[in-house]
Amino acid sequence: MSGSGKIDFENLKPEDFELHLPELFASAQGKLSEDSRLQKFFTKYPTSLALVRDLETIAETARGLLEPTEEPSDDVWTNIQSKLLEENGGIGDDDDQPQDAPRPNGGLPKQ
Amino acid sequence: MSQGQLMTQAPPAKSNPGLFKRNPPIAGEAEAIEAAKNGDPEAFSKLYALHKRRVYTLCLRMLGNVSEAEDMTQEAFLHLFRKLGSFRGESAFSTWLHRLTVNLVLMHLRKKGLNLVSLEETINPSEEDAPKRDFGSRDPILAGSVDRVALERAVASLPPGYRMVFVLHDVEGFEHNEIATMLDCSTGNSKSQLHKARLRLRELLRENQAAQPETIPEVAK
Repeated sequence: MSGSGKIDFENLKPEDFELHLPELFASAQGKLSEDSRLQKFFTKYPTSLALVRDLETIAETARGLLEPTEEPSDDVWTNIQSKLLEENGGIGDDDDQPQDAPRPNGGLPKQ
Repeated sequence: MSQGQLMTQAPPAKSNPGLFKRNPPIAGEAEAIEAAKNGDPEAFSKLYALHKRRVYTLCLRMLGNVSEAEDMTQEAFLHLFRKLGSFRGESAFSTWLHRLTVNLVLMHLRKKGLNLVSLEETINPSEEDAPKRDFGSRDPILAGSVDRVALERAVASLPPGYRMVFVLHDVEGFEHNEIATMLDCSTGNSKSQLHKARLRLRELLRENQAAQPETIPEVAK
């Protein structure tokens, strides 16, 4: 683990631990709450362990937010087509559009 | 490379196995990319359909504003249309597209005023917004679970600087060195901002749990 070489794990206090936390998290191989060097400290200071577990839970849950939840309005695609029409003569004739694709001249199906 | 160049160029196709793992190729996507490169409108329409939600959600999380998020989604796909030829397939397409989007959003934010001051300073929120230090206090913990919806709400209420780093690292999966390059700040600053963001989220989530003790967690550990 890099960035934590100067930490005295044997005599670590919660105040110092929190100062080192950003680097400890960044360099952790796996879960920081399971780092063998910190087990003695966590036993002595369970609130620090609770803090680490909470932050791990937040980071784990955040990974699940990668799946999108929001959808842009149909206007976005209409505007894209209009802009491309201005710039390049469009991205194709209407006849070339797939049946379910939005058309620049209205009648936009749901994307 | 100047900041301007960084922000206007298409992202370099860089191999990153971690992000490939997180952003596995979508069925039919590779064919659509190649066809779109050759000007096939149906293929570009398909790419839009495949990625519009993730690009828009990313913009919305970074900007916190529907109108601006839609404008940036539009810009991202227009940029994609112009730069698609430079995509070499060395990273996941979604990773490449997200990097392009992030760069456009950051350029947009700088144009709004952040460009006059170093982001190293501006991503630091005011002291009132900063999370309180714990130092072993006996505050209630998160009970081992976080409701995804509650987390979304908490992220939306973060100060912009915290939200930016949290979304880029914990949600989008960018590394600290990548974030430092994108935000023009140090790697240490990115780590520090992420940690402060998580601490602030913890506070917000604990407040939320305390206010709604009957809430059933959606995500259990």
